[in-house]
Amino acid sequence: MFFQQIVNGIVVGSVYALTAMGATLVYGIMRILDISNAGAYALGAYISFFFLLQTGNPLVAVVMGVALTAVFGFIVQKFLYAPLMDKSPNVALIAGIGLFIFLQDFLRLVGGPQARELNFGAMLPSVRLPGLGLTLYGTWFLILGATAVLLLVLWYLLNRSTVGLAWRATAQDLETAKAMGINTNRVVAFNFILGYGFAAVAGILVGILYNSIYPMMGDVPAYKMLAVIVLGGLGNPLGTVLAALVIGMAETLIGGYVGFFLPRDAIAFVVLILILLWRPQGLLGRRRVS
Amino acid sequence: MYEQVVAINVGLAMLLAMSLNIITGFAGQPTLGHAAFYGIGAYTSALLTAKAGWPFFLALPAAGAMAALVGVLLGLFSVRVREDFLAVTTIGINFVVVAIFQYVQLFGASLGLAVPKPEFLGVRFGNTEILGLLILLNALVYLFMRHLPNSWLGLALGGVRNDEEAAASLGYNADHYKVFAFTIGTFIAGMTGSVYAHFMGFISSTDFAFPVSIGVLSMAVLGGLGSVTGPLIGALILTLAPEVFRFVSDYRMLVYGGLLVLMMRFQPQGLVGDDSYLQRLWTKIRGRREEGKANAG
Amino acid sequence: MKNKRIQSLLVVLIALGLIVAGCGGAGGDKKPAAADNKAPIKIGFFAPVTGPAAADGDSVTKAAKLAVEKINKDGGINGRKVELVAYDDNLKPQEAVSIAQKLTTKDGVVAAVSGSYSHTTRAAAPIFENAKIPMIAAYALHPDITKGGDYVFRQSFVGTAQGKAGGYVAVDMLKAKTIAILNVDNDFGTTLADSFTQYVESKGAKVVSRDKFTMVEKEFNPVLTKIKQLKPDLIYMPTYSGTGAQIARQAKELNLGIQMLGTEGIDSTMEFLKVSGPTADGIIITTNLNRNSKLKATQDFIKDYTAMAGHAPDMVAASTYDCFMVLAESMRKNGAEPDKIKDGIYKIKDFEAATGLIKGYNKLGEVTKNVQVQVIKNGAFTYYGEISDPAIITPPDK
Repeated sequence: MFFQQIVNGIVVGSVYALTAMGATLVYGIMRILDISNAGAYALGAYISFFFLLQTGNPLVAVVMGVALTAVFGFIVQKFLYAPLMDKSPNVALIAGIGLFIFLQDFLRLVGGPQARELNFGAMLPSVRLPGLGLTLYGTWFLILGATAVLLLVLWYLLNRSTVGLAWRATAQDLETAKAMGINTNRVVAFNFILGYGFAAVAGILVGILYNSIYPMMGDVPAYKMLAVIVLGGLGNPLGTVLAALVIGMAETLIGGYVGFFLPRDAIAFVVLILILLWRPQGLLGRRRVS
Repeated sequence: MYEQVVAINVGLAMLLAMSLNIITGFAGQPTLGHAAFYGIGAYTSALLTAKAGWPFFLALPAAGAMAALVGVLLGLFSVRVREDFLAVTTIGINFVVVAIFQYVQLFGASLGLAVPKPEFLGVRFGNTEILGLLILLNALVYLFMRHLPNSWLGLALGGVRNDEEAAASLGYNADHYKVFAFTIGTFIAGMTGSVYAHFMGFISSTDFAFPVSIGVLSMAVLGGLGSVTGPLIGALILTLAPEVFRFVSDYRMLVYGGLLVLMMRFQPQGLVGDDSYLQRLWTKIRGRREEGKANAG
Repeated sequence: MKNKRIQSLLVVLIALGLIVAGCGGAGGDKKPAAADNKAPIKIGFFAPVTGPAAADGDSVTKAAKLAVEKINKDGGINGRKVELVAYDDNLKPQEAVSIAQKLTTKDGVVAAVSGSYSHTTRAAAPIFENAKIPMIAAYALHPDITKGGDYVFRQSFVGTAQGKAGGYVAVDMLKAKTIAILNVDNDFGTTLADSFTQYVESKGAKVVSRDKFTMVEKEFNPVLTKIKQLKPDLIYMPTYSGTGAQIARQAKELNLGIQMLGTEGIDSTMEFLKVSGPTADGIIITTNLNRNSKLKATQDFIKDYTAMAGHAPDMVAASTYDCFMVLAESMRKNGAEPDKIKDGIYKIKDFEAATGLIKGYNKLGEVTKNVQVQVIKNGAFTYYGEISDPAIITPPDK
């Protein structure tokens, strides 16, 4: 049972990491809590579902879901967030929330209010290891594999490529980066494309894992991802992964051994508040020099 | 009567938006969990009147006080944790408070709580009396808000919002004022919660969930954070919108979301904030009138 | 400075003016038109068309429209047409309250149906009671809904009856000795789990674990892993389709091999059966819609609803449809004024409806009818049993 719970925790944590990565990237550069990213999560899943119905080809469905959502991210950045950058962060926050509400209801009107099944998981059989008392879902391999691959790609992009250099410079200080001759507009656009693409991947994978997508599927990620990115130190991708695993594991172990003395989400926030009391800058955040 | 109920909803929203404005608009501290305090007030008042037999007019300030007590704790927390970390912490407080209402038997847990209608001097409060009370509370809070920016407290809060270090160098202790703003703001939210509970006659934990906090913040930002009248207008618009658009039942939330996006995009300073369309229009009208006066004179 | 002051004062005056105008503008209040014998009879309706329960909102709205269509096709109410006044409550009690006010004071409805969940219905019920307009809650389960007075009725089983029925299925039909409970943490899951526990413990069975979760939970592996160790004979899961489907799927993946017993909460053809797919086979539920019923009312409803909606009906739709049928029956027999409708509902005896034979309503306004037990076979709900024991299905009358 213990091993099973550890694996359960890792899977839950990976799902959180994937879900929060898009918003982490956006925060890293723009310093806004981008709730509409949770709308992109649902949008990506729905686009994918649409193409699965049309073509019956899972690969086409995934690629189109991610690509079109990334384009949507570019549009959102260009026409909504960019003009609001010099305003109070509350403005961008509320604009993002408005967009999120709009998207959810748009999906309900177009796709219907019922949950629909995103059934490409059926072809992946579960693996059972009776010796260890373990069951590993077929879809878990997909989730864990995708998380690992995407994080490696992201790590490479940010740390080993020129794009990453520009990204890090812009994240540190947009004005200085601009003065140094970095095309920050391009970095910001790229950032949104990547961030919304990540959201779409997360939405599709979670849709496959639970075999269901529904218009309000972004509701929980909308606040959960904020807890994860804040705990990770705001805008630090590695911190986000670590925080996601901490929260996923804490929820799973408490749920499995102690029982839910509070709802799952409240437990996540209790963990967050306790850790922030100890480290106000998050797990991997650097204390700002004042 | 239907119109009274709508007016009550507007009145409740206005109080909430003004109370949030003290914390976020005047003192510049992010609050994404304001509904927690609204809920603490509602549950406090419900328990005091239903279980302890207190009269409503004692339970009302007690509800405010209970909310303010938790507000002070959050204020102290805000001294240590900054900006977006604080913003997300307030979300956390919202979730934890709702979870406690949902899990603890005393608060009715998942069945919610029935709340008695208030009585005062033998008059059982119906919607008319509740509306009267709300107009009174709104007027009081509004007058307080009007005088706040020009008072020493308001100046200090503005200092905290704009530049904490400069404020500190002028001898203001920024931390004290932050805690103070949280205390007043949450006190008003708590009282509002009490009125809500007695108006509804039944409360449950989800009435105070995170989306409610988002709604209140949207009202304040939409109208113009830091302005005195802005949050009132925001509350009016965002409370009436779903009622007005009731006839397009299926598209109501689409319209609501779209409205938020467009208003933020094109009036980011709020509807009556500095250099907003309405503000400019007003200056223009006023300028013309002065001109007229000058010509006549 | 002065400019700003005048400006703000103006705004506040406008705001207050709006409020006052709102209060004053109520002169046009309509009382239900009793004198006019030609005008259509209006029936109010509210449901969560938007928000987290939009799927149920959609089902019940379709059912309400179908019911009104059917009543009018059958000649209306002694020649008068019936008109539906439907609103969306967004699953918010505050909105339900303003809708109830609107229906009772502005729209001039003679009766209303709640197609919404418990908290919204619970908040709206006193308003109908005070306005003396009868209201039937289609499937809201909160025990207090009907307690306010004579005008509020309930069309689905009160929680205690269905909980007991679940207990009966568990220990008397399936002979379970040890039981694990997984319930959604709201009034629905809690009331059912409580009365279920009471019944099974009185029969000597043991509840080995009870876990609760929110409506939006999706991850049940941790708790199912725990239950697997406990090896219970049965899992009772009073919850809704979204969560229920995940329990079914994850239990199958973990190879639990434990009989599962659900409730009307997962009686959903779209959300539950499609998402859980083959993993739902063998799950037994207590509900109020018997798909294999011989009653014409039931078969007609299933046929008409499927033709209209393009998918088979679920329990919330059936229950909502019946609310309208009961109202129509009462109006045809007793007259179409609110007081007469109320009295007429109390007089109903052995009325054939989509959810089976309605034996009548007790003085609280709770319905008495048989509890249906269905099993999922090849992706469809099928007959498994029917509970008619009065000791189980009789609702409490206080």
